[in-house]
Parts: sequence; structure tokens; C-alpha cells
Amino acid sequence: MSSTRLRRKAGPYALLVPAILVLVVGMAYPLGRQLMLSFHEFGRAQQFGQPAPWVGLDNYRELVTDRTMWTVIARSLAFCFVNASITMVLGTLVAVLMKRVATAPRLILQISMLLAWAMPVIAAMTAWQWLFDTRYGLVNWSLRKVGFASFDGHNWLIDPLSFFFVASVIIIWMSVPFVAFTAYAALTQVSEETLEASHLDGATAIQRFRHIVYPTIKPVLTIVALLQIVWDLRVFAQINFLQNVGGTPSETHLLGTYIYSLGIGQNDYGSASAMAMFVLVLTLVLTVRYVWSLLKEEPR
Amino acid sequence: MNARARLWGVVAIVLAVIWAFPVYWIGNSAFQPVEALRSPNPSFLPDFSASGFGRVFDDSFVDSLKLSLTVTLLAIVAAVLCGFVAAVAISRFRFRGRRSFIFTVLAIQMIPPEALFISQYKMLNDWGLLNSVVGLGLLYSALILPFTVWMLRGFVDGIPIDLEEAAMTDGCSRTRAFFTITFPLLAPGLVASSVYGFLQAWNEYTLAVVVMDPSNRTLPLWLKGLTDVSNEAVDWPAVMAGATLVATPVIILFMIVQNRMTSGMVGGAVKG
Amino acid sequence: MKLTKIAAATAASALALTALAACGGSSDGDKAEGGSDTVTLWLAGKEDTPKKVEDWLVKEFAAQHKGKNLKVQHIDWGELIPRLNTALQSDKTPDVVEVGNTQAATFTSVGAFTDLTDKLDQLGDNIGPKSFVEAGTYDGKVSAVPYYWGSRYIFYSKKAFKDAGIEVPTTLAGFNDAATKLKAEGGDKYSGFWLPGQDWRNGISWIFANGGDIAKQEDGTWVATLSSPESIKGLTELQGLYEKATTAPKDGKDAEPWTAYNNGEAAMFMAPSWARWSVDKKKAADLGGFALPGTEGGAAPVFAGGSNLGISAKSKNQDLSFDLLKLIYSDEFQQQLAKNGLGPANDKYTGLMGDDEFAKAAVAAASNSKLTPASPEWASVESASIMEEFFGKIASGEDVTKAAKATDDKLNAALNK
Repeated sequence: MSSTRLRRKAGPYALLVPAILVLVVGMAYPLGRQLMLSFHEFGRAQQFGQPAPWVGLDNYRELVTDRTMWTVIARSLAFCFVNASITMVLGTLVAVLMKRVATAPRLILQISMLLAWAMPVIAAMTAWQWLFDTRYGLVNWSLRKVGFASFDGHNWLIDPLSFFFVASVIIIWMSVPFVAFTAYAALTQVSEETLEASHLDGATAIQRFRHIVYPTIKPVLTIVALLQIVWDLRVFAQINFLQNVGGTPSETHLLGTYIYSLGIGQNDYGSASAMAMFVLVLTLVLTVRYVWSLLKEEPR
Repeated sequence: MNARARLWGVVAIVLAVIWAFPVYWIGNSAFQPVEALRSPNPSFLPDFSASGFGRVFDDSFVDSLKLSLTVTLLAIVAAVLCGFVAAVAISRFRFRGRRSFIFTVLAIQMIPPEALFISQYKMLNDWGLLNSVVGLGLLYSALILPFTVWMLRGFVDGIPIDLEEAAMTDGCSRTRAFFTITFPLLAPGLVASSVYGFLQAWNEYTLAVVVMDPSNRTLPLWLKGLTDVSNEAVDWPAVMAGATLVATPVIILFMIVQNRMTSGMVGGAVKG
Repeated sequence: MKLTKIAAATAASALALTALAACGGSSDGDKAEGGSDTVTLWLAGKEDTPKKVEDWLVKEFAAQHKGKNLKVQHIDWGELIPRLNTALQSDKTPDVVEVGNTQAATFTSVGAFTDLTDKLDQLGDNIGPKSFVEAGTYDGKVSAVPYYWGSRYIFYSKKAFKDAGIEVPTTLAGFNDAATKLKAEGGDKYSGFWLPGQDWRNGISWIFANGGDIAKQEDGTWVATLSSPESIKGLTELQGLYEKATTAPKDGKDAEPWTAYNNGEAAMFMAPSWARWSVDKKKAADLGGFALPGTEGGAAPVFAGGSNLGISAKSKNQDLSFDLLKLIYSDEFQQQLAKNGLGPANDKYTGLMGDDEFAKAAVAAASNSKLTPASPEWASVESASIMEEFFGKIASGEDVTKAAKATDDKLNAALNK
């Protein structure tokens, strides 16, 4: 067969060279430098030319023995879990809805989801900041109008739980469209004839979903869920933006902002690098099942 | 049945309104007099006589637009070209190391970008590429490449190899068959992944702060700059107008290719 | 005398230029061996340095240095630290940079700025304020010099005072009472004194006024003193104000305090002198200003705002950069700063800031102003928002002593890294 013949050829490797080159230069090499950095003491003094002493695993040891890191990790996991699940469920439901409704409402829904999806993060955050503003925010105004007088001048960001509520609303708003569109595209691949046939055979809607629809869209949902977990775990821009608007940074750090605060904020690049390595490993551990199930489908 | 369909239609419209509202709010706020945004009662309808657009549309916007376009295009061209050939390799060939490569592509997305930029900065400094379009473009293309590979691979998978093989039996070389038969069918996929890359690079913020000179601001930085004033009041309608300006090109591009983008992703995953 | 100095400087740089041209050979590009034709100056904020003043500087620099020019770049305050952290050690370093006075130590302590100790007298005899020179000094070496200072004082509505029947207070206790009374008369939505919860730069004045401080240095280590009895007294007064005198958001910061005033929602706010120009033109006639009074009368110590200037140690234009500093310290430039309401580094010209009540309030407030601990780690405290969080907690009604002790622990850890 042609594939066995091609196996010996250098062709495919040559095709990978440009991509590998870009990835090595843009990601792998800096990552390597970062890994080295995590074994050194590297603060502001080192940045301005002092030699950086090798400290072995000290940076890691310091992180592991610091309760802050574990709190941040636990918080991030919880945040990631809540957001990724809600996003997946909502997104899939919206996709099913798109499949069910007539063309006109579907188009309207698709366009509005598209608007939310395409909105640049900074632009979207600016709008959300105003919506939740303490004094002039529309959210407080509406709540007051429907009778919750206590929301007059209510602060949404100062209490960490409320802060994460706002952050979740924004992140889910931004992420649902991607899931919905992809799941919708997958749903359109479900064979209508098979569905029709099983309907005639007396299968209930739930049975049809479980035995026909779900298996078809499962691979898509897997990869989307994988991406969602990765994205929600390392969410940075939204949290950072909200922390600057108000709120209590030390009680609202997630992994991304924590690395940033260690590095840029406190100039402790050694620890920041160590933390980054930690996050990388953590993400791999969390997603290994998904990645594995994806790879298993791959022919060798 | 009909009543139920109508009910679902209503649900869809309600959802549409919820999702579109913040976007509407940006546009609406851009068309308000400055005081209106700080009044205790919100105004829900735009006032077209008072817009913030005139106040933000200046040279610095045009400069930022040019910079953003250059960097973004450079990044996309590099990422799509490299991503395309890599996608062809993993889709059309079976070879040792193929799964490792796919694994790497997936794993790279898990690197927290906030962790990399200090060493990325040092690297560019060593190479004299700081504050250069090439330097930033290079980092961006590395940033969007993994997802581009993944998406394009879905598109290549979606085109049956039989077509190529038929052409080959007609005497075409494999390369020729690929370029005459498969490549044209891939055009939508290339467009779709370019748009996805566009979105990523266009919105990127952190790297642009660190790598570029303060006078060379990409659009997100330009937008952020509008709110960062220390001794005068922030002109919120102007900020919202700026947000509208930054978002519009992305939204238009998205509208055009959205369908193809998602079907590409699905194509890859469903075929497995 | 100044003119001769300028002339000398011009001559010196002309000489340097010839020397360069002589050894540069084929260097017709803008990067000669010893530097370039352009000196880059980073100024913080969009127009914190007024446009007119900046233009004058650019023009004058070009006029004095033939073939050379000055390029000014504006850095937003929020980006300043990350940018300086990277840019000052790169090959594309700016030549002269402005840093916030509390941020100076971060860079002087690592040798990021050129040591100016020996050249200080070339800049003038009256360099000040002293606290700013100290802020730019590390290990006995001065490497960041004062640029301008501003002081925070109280802006108030004369009409509101008259309606409530109160006079401008002369003691801190009197001020606290006035703020509470104004709020009581104004109603639920009205602030006697606009005081956002996380606005520590203004709130800290109550600690300072009662004799407290953020931290003090003992045998080389920093000891945070937010929970000292003096600080606690100030914080308790402050918590009373948060409770009874203001409607400002508990997580608000010091941005745009005049908005509430413009909207008629506050009788007083505290801000640096330049805030005056942001008050609604229609309300300008009603606006008054006074320095926050101390516990025993006089002016309370307030937090001094302002900036320092440093020459990047990596700059290849050391001499030209120092010329630029000299130009900034020239009489003409100092006078322009003062006329625009910015406190000049040369105190000869403080008088030029005017003699209306605002200028008087500014000078009075500055007479007693204080700075944050001169630890190189202070910038980390700021970027970790430790003070913002602490004041936010006080504003939310948390137990003062408990919050102060917890924050002291954080500060001790951060400052002694």
C-alpha cells in the first residue's frame, strides 16, 4: 500500500520542519529558559546584571510549603470546574436549541452569539465593568427597579465570592458561543435517517440522544471540553482586569494572575517560573484522560 | 408541536438578547454625551448627535491600526503556512513520531503564556528583535500555530483521499494531485483558520506591552490607554467608541467565515 | 550664571559631537559608537507634564544641541513598572525616565540609574524636596533626582459649607465632624467627604496625622507599624468617616474623585493640586481648597505625590542625558512647572504657583508631606495592592486592630525580602 511506501520517506518530516521551527523558537526555547530560571534565584537585582545563583529546588520547595499556592490551586480548580461545566452544558443546550428552532430565530441567536464570541477581551471587559459598576451600573439599577433596594450602590467585586460570580458570568458569556457553534456543527452531522428510523422503532427522545446523537458528537465535545478546561484553568485577562477595577487581589488570585503577580509584581522570576512549571504539570495531569482518549483514536 | 416550536423560538430570542446585550451596550454608550454615562439613570437609546467616535479617531488610532494589521497579518501568514504543511503531514502520512507531534501540539496549549514572556523578552533582546514587528509577529505565530494545525488537520481529513488517488491513477504525481484536487477544496479551511488566528493575535495584550515600545501600541493597548488617564476624567463614550472600532473588523470577519470554522473543527474530530 | 552654564553645556556637547564625528568615520546612520542623535525621555502619564511645557523642552533641547533632538514618549502609569523592569536592562533603553517617587528605590537599589552624586551641584543648589532626594538615594548614592511634586489637599463646596453653617475646619477632629455633619444634612446619597474605600493614598493622612506611619527601619530591617497605637487611632477615625461621612464605593480607588463632586454628590474630596482643573467649569466659582488640618491645627502630614528622574545606566548617551537634566533644572523650565501648578524641584520658584487659596493649600500641605518607606521592595507592595486591600477592609467595617496586624505581617514579609 501507498502508506507503507511513504513510511520510509523523509517527506512528512520535511513538512513538519517549518511548524517545529516556529514552535521551538517561539515556545520551546523560551520554555527551556524558563525551566532553567526556575532553578535559579532570579529577582530584580539579577535582571539588572547581578549573577543569578543556582538554588536547585529551593523555589519549588518554597512554593510547596507556602499555603498560598495550595489555596490558589484549589481556587483555580474550583473555578475551572464550575465554569467549564456550566459552559459545556449551556453550550450544548444552546446547540440543541439551534437545531430545533426555525431558521429566523436560529439566525438571530447565531448572530448574537457571534457578536459575543468575536468581541475583543478588553472591549468586552470595558462593557462589563460598566454593567457591574457600583454607582452607575445597569445591573444595580435594574435590580433596584425590580424591588431590591439593597442593591443601591452594591459592591460586586469586594467580596471574593461575588467577585468570582461576576468573573464567571463574563467568562461563560464569552465561552458559550464557541461550544454552541462547534456542538451545533457536530449535531448537523448526525444522520437524520437513523434518527427517523429509531423514532419509528419507538425509541424515546432520551434514548435517541444517548444512542445516536451522543456517540456522534462525543469526539467533538471531548476536544471542546479539553480546550475549555485548559482555557478556564489559565484564565488571566478577565481576572486581572477585574482586580484592577476593584476587588481584593490577594483573595482572588487564580493561577494565571498569581504567576503574573510573582513575576512582574514582585520581581521574583525564579518562583514565577517554578509556579509556571507547576501549572503546566497540573494541566497535563488534569487533561491526560482527554488527551489520551483523543490520541487513542489516532492511527499510528 | 407547533406551539412547542414557537416556545423554543421565544427561548432562542431571549438568549439572543442576553448575549447581544453587552455588545449593544458598548455601541449605545459610544453614542452618549459624557455626562449620560455617569447619570443615576441609564439611557437605553443611542443619541446620535453625541458620539465619542470623533474624539478617538485620530493619528494614534491609525498608527495602532496599521501596527496591529501588520503584526497580525505577519503572524497569520507564518502560522497558516507552517500549520498547513504540518496538517498535511499528519493527515496524509503515517510516520514514526506522528502521535508525539500531535501530543505536542495539544500540550503546547497548556503552557500558561504569562509564564513565558520574560524569557521571550530576553530572547528577543538577545536577537535585537525588541520593538520589531518581526519579533512580535514571531511570538504570535507560535501562539496561534498549535490551534491552526489542529483545525487545518480537520479540514484536510475532511477531504476524501480517494479524490487524490483517482487523480494519481490518471497519471498525476502525488504532489500535483494534491495541489490540483485537494488544495482548492481547502481554501475555506485556510480562510477559517486565518480568521481564528486573526482573532487571537488581534486581541493579544500582555506580550504587546512587554515587547513593543510605548509609542508603538497595538490596538488593545491603544484601547487600554484610553482608560489610563491620571489627571483628567476618563472619557467613557470615547472609550466605548474605541472598543467598537477595535471590535468591528473582527466581527465582520467572523460573520463571513463562522460556519466554515466550526465545521473544520468538527470535521477533524468526527472523522477521528 | 545659569546662562553661562547652558552655554558651557552646549559647548561641551558640541565638542563631544565633533569628537564623535572624528572617530565615527562612516557613521552617517543615527547610531554612532558613543550613542545616537536622539535622546529618549519617558514621561509618565498622558499629560501629567503639561503639553506646553513638554514642547518647550523639546524645542529648547534641539536649539541647544545642534543635530541632536529629544524624543518624548508617554508611558501610562499602570504600565510604567513592567516596562521599566524590562526596558532599562535592554539594548533599547530609554535615556532618561520619570518614575513615581515611591517607585524610585526599586531601580536605584539595583543600579539601574547612573550615579549622579558627584554631579548634583551642577543641577542647582536648591534641589528638593529633601524627601524626594532621599527617595532617589540608595547606599549614599543619589541616582534619581526630584522632578516635580504635588500635594494632596481638600477641595470643598463653599455653598455646602454655608448651607450647613460650618467654617473651614482648623483641626483634624473638626474636619471629621464637618464631614459627618455635611453627610447628615445631605442625605443618603450624599457624601460629606468623598472617600473611596481603597484610596489609601488619601486615607493614609489620618495615620500620619495621628503620629503613625506605615513602617520604620530598625537595624536594617523594616518593621511595619500599621498596628501601632498611633496608627490605630488614625485608622479608627478613618473608619468612622467611611461609615458616617461617605457614600463612595468600598472598593473605589483614587481615580477621578471629582466626578462625585461634579455630580453634586459630595461636598468635599481630597486630591493632588491638579485635580482643580477637572472640576466642572460651572462649579469652579463654588470650589474652595484648604490643607487637611493636623490634630493640633496647622497642616496634617499628607502623602506627597510626585516623580523623580533618572538616567538609565545602560544609556549610551550619558552626557546628553545629563544635559537634558540640566535643562529640566534650568530656571525657565522650573518656572513653567510652577506656573502649571506642579511643585518645582527648585524651591526658589514655589512662589510662582500662585497666591490664591489653592496654591496656599498646596504649599501648606507640602510643608508637612511624607513618603512611603524607602525600601526597594515598596514597588512590590504597590503592585500586590496590599495597601488597597487593607484600606478596603477598614472601609468595609472590619476590626481595625485585627486588619492592621494582618497587614503588618504582609508588609514585614514584603519589605524585607
